Amino acid sequence: MAGLELKALRKSYGDLEVIKGVDLHIEHGEFVVFVGPSGCGKSTLLRMIAGLEEISAGELVIGDRVVNEVEPRDRGIAMVFQSYALYPHMTVYDNVGFGLMLAKTPREVRDKKIREAARILQMEHLLNRKPSQLSGGQRQRVAIGRAIVRQPEVFLFDEPLSNLDAALRVDMRMELARLHQDLGATMIYVTHDQVEAMTLADKIVVLDGGVVQQVGSPIELYQRPANLFVAGFIGSPKMNLLPAIVDAVEGDVVRVSSKDLAATAIRASGEGLKPGDSVTLGVRPHALTPTESGSVVGQVALVERLGNETNVSITLPSGTSFMAVLDGDRALRPSGSIVLGFNPADALLFDGAGLAR
Amino acid sequence: MKQRASLLGGVAAIVATFVVFVIPFLFIILMAFKDRQQSALRDFSWPTGFHLWDNVFEVVKTRNWMMITAFINSSIITVASVSLLVVFAAMVGFILARRKTRWNPLIEFLILAGLMVPPAVVPTIWVLQGLKLFGTLHGMILIEVAYNLPFSIILYRAFIATIPKDMDEAAIIDGARPLDVFFRIILPMLWPVTVTNIVVQSVGIFNDFTNPLYYLPGNANATVQLTLFNFQSQFSTAYNLLFTNILLITIPPLIVFLFFNRQIVAGMTAGAVKG
Repeated sequence: MAGLELKALRKSYGDLEVIKGVDLHIEHGEFVVFVGPSGCGKSTLLRMIAGLEEISAGELVIGDRVVNEVEPRDRGIAMVFQSYALYPHMTVYDNVGFGLMLAKTPREVRDKKIREAARILQMEHLLNRKPSQLSGGQRQRVAIGRAIVRQPEVFLFDEPLSNLDAALRVDMRMELARLHQDLGATMIYVTHDQVEAMTLADKIVVLDGGVVQQVGSPIELYQRPANLFVAGFIGSPKMNLLPAIVDAVEGDVVRVSSKDLAATAIRASGEGLKPGDSVTLGVRPHALTPTESGSVVGQVALVERLGNETNVSITLPSGTSFMAVLDGDRALRPSGSIVLGFNPADALLFDGAGLAR
Repeated sequence: MKQRASLLGGVAAIVATFVVFVIPFLFIILMAFKDRQQSALRDFSWPTGFHLWDNVFEVVKTRNWMMITAFINSSIITVASVSLLVVFAAMVGFILARRKTRWNPLIEFLILAGLMVPPAVVPTIWVLQGLKLFGTLHGMILIEVAYNLPFSIILYRAFIATIPKDMDEAAIIDGARPLDVFFRIILPMLWPVTVTNIVVQSVGIFNDFTNPLYYLPGNANATVQLTLFNFQSQFSTAYNLLFTNILLITIPPLIVFLFFNRQIVAGMTAGAVKG
């Protein structure tokens, strides 16, 4: 079992650089999730760790070995693919045992390990079937079983749940969390689904354009996003981002306002800000409440009543749309006027460069 | 109305198939039952006596049991060439489908050229003589492999392109070396195309007449198609024996077809559409 160290990792295809220098430290036993939009380089980064993509520059350390030039089979990793990639001509038993067979593990040891993995994943009754006779969830289990028998130091998951239906995805997510607890192994997990990221991760790595945007625990990322990208990416529904102008800076309090926003004092570092600067105010939809005298006034555009909460889409005077999630069931009339307020402590301020203040 | 049209079409198709494929075959069988005099008439008449066993015995025994030698030679050539074809074509198809380099267009052009350009017989014989392979069975095997490789490669490549690359990568992570990936993962998954290749190529090679005629002279090297010459000459032809011979050498390809019939179509269309 081992941790990982990524030192200035780079990957380029000809002139096109897809991973632009990633530094990352992963502790032994951590569950790390790479998230980001499509094409952000998260899968490429995972494949570089697996050894399926060559590393153009930088150093990859697994345990205490530099493994840049080490073959995938000798890196102490196992990988689960989005498409499961089960060998269709072999039974589940042979699929799980394929790696052991290649490693010339004695038959008895191999048998014991395969049955142990099957027991952990509760799929002993499937061992004699072919992959084509399995459901999506069962195939996923076999793919994970194939990873477990290798007893790797690091598990790599490449969007393993995205081919499953919604209900199964929730089950498998819990199962993966349980597996991580039971095995205590380091796991790296790539997904574009932020619910998976939030629920599974010890540590989330947000990637965009081949650059790490922020690394931190799920709650840290939710409460204190480092920049506009992370603020917009983490959290569902998305955080509302309102352009605003600085009115005054008083030490740790910045007063902002705009056409859509009554003057509001936000607790944020005012260093380097001066009146007249353009900033962005971030407010989570959940932080908003209807009040008599709030700082945001708009017209109700769309109401989604979910019973326990109500999603309201609002059009602000400037035409910007704004999202609020209100507690309980509220029978709001579309095109009616609504006033919303928020606790300034729940709001975030981003400067002109998009960095959190 | 529409039903009647399709019925008529069906009947027409059956009649056409019968005339084109079944009648010649019936003719062969009938001829094989006749004696020499009756067969010389070359008509579509019922045999006057039962002479099949006499004819078969005569055919097999002719020219010092040449038929037996021919069957052995043809079987060796067919089995060896088809085995080599399957392995090599699958390997080339695998590499062509997986490794994209700037040489690919050139290689693809060469494969197409191999399919289209007619082989030049005399220069090939010079080369074979230079390599001391002329008139040998293994030389013949190499010729058959070379002539039929392009077609097999094209069949394989289309199919391999539909196998997701994840499969190779999963095997690599599991610790498979390149040859393991090919022989343990890819080749077994190619079974439908392999069957097509086995059937199409083995029938083609077993029934090959011209290539053994050019490259494999000598009585000891006769292949089944060349035994047909035994009963045909400028001045006299024993038609009953000739057709018995045809009947005998049609049997092995027929068996192969009956065995793999169903899987051929699957293999031909597999890879054409992503399913």
